[in-house]
Amino acid sequence: MSGSGKLIVFAAARVLGIVALGALLGLAFEQILIGILVALAASLAWHWVELNRLAFWLRNRRTADPPRTFGLWSEVGAIIVRLHRRKRYHKARMLGVLRELRESTAALPDAVVVLNASREIQWFNEPAFILLGLKRRRDQGIRIDNLLRQPEIHDFLVKAPEDRSLVVQVPGDVKRWLLLRLVPFGEGRQLLLARDVTATQQLATVRRDFVANASHELRTPLTVIAGYLEALDADTEVPEALRGPLSEMRRQSDRMRALLDDLLSLSKLDASETEIRGEHVDLPELLQQLHRDAKLMARRPAVIELTTDSSQGIRGDRALLHSAFWNLLENAVKYTPNDGAVRMRWWLDAAGGHLSVSDNGPGIAPEHVPRLTERFYRVDASRSRETGGTGLGLAIVKHALQLHDAQLDIHSTLGSGSVFTCHFPSTRLSSARGN
Amino acid sequence: MDTSNLGQHISRRFNEDLEHLRSKVLSMGGLVEQQLSQAVTALVEGDSALGEAVARNDFQVNAMEVAIDEECQRILATRAPAAGDLRVVLAVIKSITDLERVGDECEKIGYIGSRLAAQERPADKYRELKHLGRVVQDMLHAALDAYARLDSESALRVAQQDRAVDEEYEAIQRQCITFMMEDPRTIRRALDSLLIARALERIGDHAKNLCEYVIYMVHGKDIRHTRLEDVESELLGKLAK
Repeated sequence: MSGSGKLIVFAAARVLGIVALGALLGLAFEQILIGILVALAASLAWHWVELNRLAFWLRNRRTADPPRTFGLWSEVGAIIVRLHRRKRYHKARMLGVLRELRESTAALPDAVVVLNASREIQWFNEPAFILLGLKRRRDQGIRIDNLLRQPEIHDFLVKAPEDRSLVVQVPGDVKRWLLLRLVPFGEGRQLLLARDVTATQQLATVRRDFVANASHELRTPLTVIAGYLEALDADTEVPEALRGPLSEMRRQSDRMRALLDDLLSLSKLDASETEIRGEHVDLPELLQQLHRDAKLMARRPAVIELTTDSSQGIRGDRALLHSAFWNLLENAVKYTPNDGAVRMRWWLDAAGGHLSVSDNGPGIAPEHVPRLTERFYRVDASRSRETGGTGLGLAIVKHALQLHDAQLDIHSTLGSGSVFTCHFPSTRLSSARGN
Repeated sequence: MDTSNLGQHISRRFNEDLEHLRSKVLSMGGLVEQQLSQAVTALVEGDSALGEAVARNDFQVNAMEVAIDEECQRILATRAPAAGDLRVVLAVIKSITDLERVGDECEKIGYIGSRLAAQERPADKYRELKHLGRVVQDMLHAALDAYARLDSESALRVAQQDRAVDEEYEAIQRQCITFMMEDPRTIRRALDSLLIARALERIGDHAKNLCEYVIYMVHGKDIRHTRLEDVESELLGKLAK
């Protein structure tokens, strides 16, 4: 039998009981029908009264316990009390969790702002007052890009670029550097995180300045030393036994000068944060010049080839491009055996312009490829030293290309050679007749 | 008026249009703020390239003004807004004129700043101008914040700062006159400094105008050419009610 069926039987039994009681009472006065009616009315009235008491208690809640009664009504009261207690317990727990959550997000040193799909501010924590200048209460429901109006930040918020992070300097009394990040969650909602990275940025500036100053200061004494070494090397009165050490000293001082020059140009590249607009650079002509220079190198592979499929040039800085391409070409020439071949190719496609420098030298093991453009990273210390590299060449290439919105792509197979490709976006291409 | 009025519109699309319009004004404001900050930096740090860049970039501000103007025309023609909505559109039309003028003043500061950068810098490194620039930048920023928040109280506070800017301008003027009397060789530079101080003072006035438009948008009250004290007492009375 089902539960509700049971209940119906139970209720029917109760009604029957009341009717029987009424009938018995009626029998005493010989008025059975009136007896039944009185009994039913009394029971109904009692229920009514109890229901009213319960309702009164629920409405006003003066006491913790339900009105004292018996039977079904006391059970109902007990259930209500139990439900209420459970609800209160859950509420307290939820409140506790919520408070903890709020306190912990408020204790975060980073600013956190919750944005809805139309970039309206829903909630933010305390550091957002200081870092982003938001105001409590007042700013809820206001579009974040209306308050963070700096064009750079505005573009970042509105366009939501793919990498979704931005380091930006915010003007004000204190010049702060902020790292902004957008994290999408839920349906079109976003979390804006802001971190104060002023210290890191300052450290980077200090380091850059230090490297630039140190290399600059070291260059002067080195020039003097190199000058004397040169003079001594040419001097016929120098004993024969010192000839060897002297020429070694000269070679090392030249290497040191090359190192300092590279460090200087690298720190210069570092300092120029904005991309360069630049002028038209006749790339085919530049490549031919590089080609001629490479052929003049003392130790070079048998074949050095140049293919220019396009006469298009690039908008940029000629000196930077020259040093970037020369570094690539010089590396290829240096590491390719005498019977090998180095090929340069400049071509266009839908994506933009591409310059590749390929060789069939020893190649580079895959684990080294991602780290090649790090400063002073050496695949094989002994090998690069004997060829006279500074360990900064590819770092310079990478930086110079970045300033031209270009990317460096490296493919290499051990034993069969490497291909270095520079990809320039089509926006950077220009022809001789001025863009 | 409460700001929630703006949020309850029969036509959702219209509401979005208005909100979009205000956002555009504010992003134009952001651009102008950046121009101002760069112009002052160029002057104070003697960075002629930056000053020239500011002068060159003024066309962006002008282009935004034209675009927003067209948007306003479109809204007026197609939606025929009334009451609060009409006030928003009207205030926008006025604000962009002021912002564009601020842009022009920035262009002027950038241009003169790059010219001054080529000359010998005075011993005080334009400390007074730097300070005035700081005050005006804060004022413009606060005015635009009030614009974004539709916060008439802070708008009123910002508008009152204009007096401090005027006093500062007076002080610089007196100082420049003294310099010129002491040493006629500095006249050229002093005149240029004066022009910059004047431009900054004008920017302060435009920021004040922006604040007045905020009050106009929120309360529907035109407070131009009225004493700020009267406005304040009236607004306070209104708030107390």
